[in-house]
Amino acid sequence: MKKSIVTLAASAVILAVGTGVAGAYDGTKCKAPGDCWEPKPGYPEKVAGSKYDPKHDPKELAKQQTALDAQDERNAQRAAHFKKTGKWVYDVKKIQ
Amino acid sequence: MKKHLGTGLLAGASCVALTVAMASSSFANDKLNELSKSNEAWVMPGKNYSSQNYSPNTQINTENVKQLRAAWSFSTGLLHGHEGTPLVVNGVMYVHTSFPNNTFALDLNDPGHILWQHKPKQDPAARSVACCDLVNRGLAYWPGDGDTPPLIIKTQLDAHLVALNAETGEEYWKVENGDIKVGQTLTQAPYVIKDLALVGSSGAELGVRGYTTAYNVKTGEQVWRVYATGPDEDIGLADDFNSANPHYGQKGLGTGTWEGDAWKIGGGTNWGWYAFDPETNLFHYGSGNPAPWNETMRPGDNKWTMTIWGRDADTGKAKFGYQKTPHDEWDYAGVNVMILSEQTDKEGKKRKLLTHPDRNGIVYTLDRENGDLISANKLDDTVNWVKQVDLKTGLPVRDPEFGTRMDHKGKEICPSAMGYHNQGHDSYDPTKELFFMGINHICMDWEPFMLPYRAGQFFVGATLWMYPGPKGDRQNYLGLGQIKAYNAITGDYKWDKMERFSVWGGTLATAGNLVFYGTLDGFIKARNSDTGELLWKYKLPSGVIGHPMTYEHKGTQYVAIMYGVGGWPGVGLVFDLQDPTAGLGAVGAFKNLANYTQMGGGLQVFSLDGKNPYSEDINVGEYEKG
Repeated sequence: MKKSIVTLAASAVILAVGTGVAGAYDGTKCKAPGDCWEPKPGYPEKVAGSKYDPKHDPKELAKQQTALDAQDERNAQRAAHFKKTGKWVYDVKKIQ
Repeated sequence: MKKHLGTGLLAGASCVALTVAMASSSFANDKLNELSKSNEAWVMPGKNYSSQNYSPNTQINTENVKQLRAAWSFSTGLLHGHEGTPLVVNGVMYVHTSFPNNTFALDLNDPGHILWQHKPKQDPAARSVACCDLVNRGLAYWPGDGDTPPLIIKTQLDAHLVALNAETGEEYWKVENGDIKVGQTLTQAPYVIKDLALVGSSGAELGVRGYTTAYNVKTGEQVWRVYATGPDEDIGLADDFNSANPHYGQKGLGTGTWEGDAWKIGGGTNWGWYAFDPETNLFHYGSGNPAPWNETMRPGDNKWTMTIWGRDADTGKAKFGYQKTPHDEWDYAGVNVMILSEQTDKEGKKRKLLTHPDRNGIVYTLDRENGDLISANKLDDTVNWVKQVDLKTGLPVRDPEFGTRMDHKGKEICPSAMGYHNQGHDSYDPTKELFFMGINHICMDWEPFMLPYRAGQFFVGATLWMYPGPKGDRQNYLGLGQIKAYNAITGDYKWDKMERFSVWGGTLATAGNLVFYGTLDGFIKARNSDTGELLWKYKLPSGVIGHPMTYEHKGTQYVAIMYGVGGWPGVGLVFDLQDPTAGLGAVGAFKNLANYTQMGGGLQVFSLDGKNPYSEDINVGEYEKG
């Protein structure tokens, strides 16, 4: 009796795992070339509006590009001054 | 007599150099390529553009390696991890350090004499946004053109790229290539191609969107910048991008494989190594992991993070990109070393290849001209997140059991986030067609959590528990490393050996049938490159996370290596952390490291019988009143 319960339980586990794997995200089913992501069983296709919504603040998301643009602008001033004078001045306030 | 011999040898050497230079006029604009062919120079990370870390020098070999002794040493005066390896050019050795990224020029005729030193003043706040110790992977060299002096190019943790006059150490130019206020730092070695200085980016653990930039070495002007994610024009795709392998994906995927604007903080920084092929004008590197580590917060393949790139050096435009780890769930940052070779494939076709041992436990070999996938083999048979990489589709066939997701603790995942391979710069012996790879043997449990993005703050979102892989000693937390000799065409491992700790720093191969590498427990070791037999080792002051290099000076072959433990495996020891999940999970895995080493920082140089300028003439470097 005991044995059969164990066997039953074991086969239930195997069944569950088997089903899980068959439907699970394994990276081989592609919507388009280079686009093969799928949500995992029980997880949403889109996280926006779900309990996993990252709720990113657009102002925070923009900060890196703003920083890079500002650096590029300062670097351009330094390089232009260097080409003109042959001397590299890092402090852009001292340029001009 | 001795002096005469020396002069004769030197004169002979320059004759050879002249002949070589004249014979290869196609590379006449590339002095660096020429310099890299000399045994007396080590002019770039990886030694040459093929990045093979291979020296044809046979003076030190399997027969006499037991006579290898300490020749001289140099302390950098700093602690923390000392990665990378020095450069040697024109009788001068250039040594770099951990933060604040000092640079020293040493005279090889009298290495006790520091010719010049550059000590940057950096905002100490840069330390707080470095994910994984205050490391730096090295210097680059530009040989000068008559108008502009030879330059040493360096990165600083505060994200500046700096050019120094190689003769005086004076700052020639200094540009901002990142901002610590938004989490951007620099740890990698820059790379010189023609008159360009290339530099990558760090900070995927703080949500930094990766970028690679080229500056004109002569003027400091930006020439191009490309990104890892976002619109195609930002990523810099050539019109024929992936035309040889359209199934890898082509246009629109830098945004199309993300939800909304998540690509703006999408990671893909590149802080590893480069290689370059002057014939195709393509350079190769890998982009890092997507952000955050919490996979549930970024549905999609997350292109073009985790990608092997072939880009045109002059424009930065990508000819091909192959994503190794679509939708990363394990922080398998794809930045590892690229080593170029020419080999015959299984169909008998001669191919120009690149080989790349990735964090994800797969060693990839691609045709470096068009991106064709040639082989993708497991670094160890214990890799379990992927069943195999389908060479036809290029897709990794994932085992869902070892994926990660919210509200779930993934267990026994191999490799761990530290990868089965990390930042170590390995070597390739072209005569044996063998790659010598320093490998990690670390697996993990992983549980993600939700977190907001705030520019300048960490944006990880996962708790990790790491421990030795199945072949190590899980009770005693030892057996975390391996070293293996690998053939990229057959996929065979000629030999493999276990190591107490991860072989983190990379390897050096020589025509003396030797492979050298440093260990985290503070040894430099030499193995027979045919058999893997351990032939020699020496106890250094501290663990090694850089790779050995070799050079010849005045007829003597030297082997040099940095010591100074740190980097990600050293964070527990370096910052005195106890919680096993601290240091992004590395503290637990390496809890035994402190029983074998302490911090340090310096360079140790070896030669046969310890021959050095002072042993040859004891009066060298003595004080004489001027």
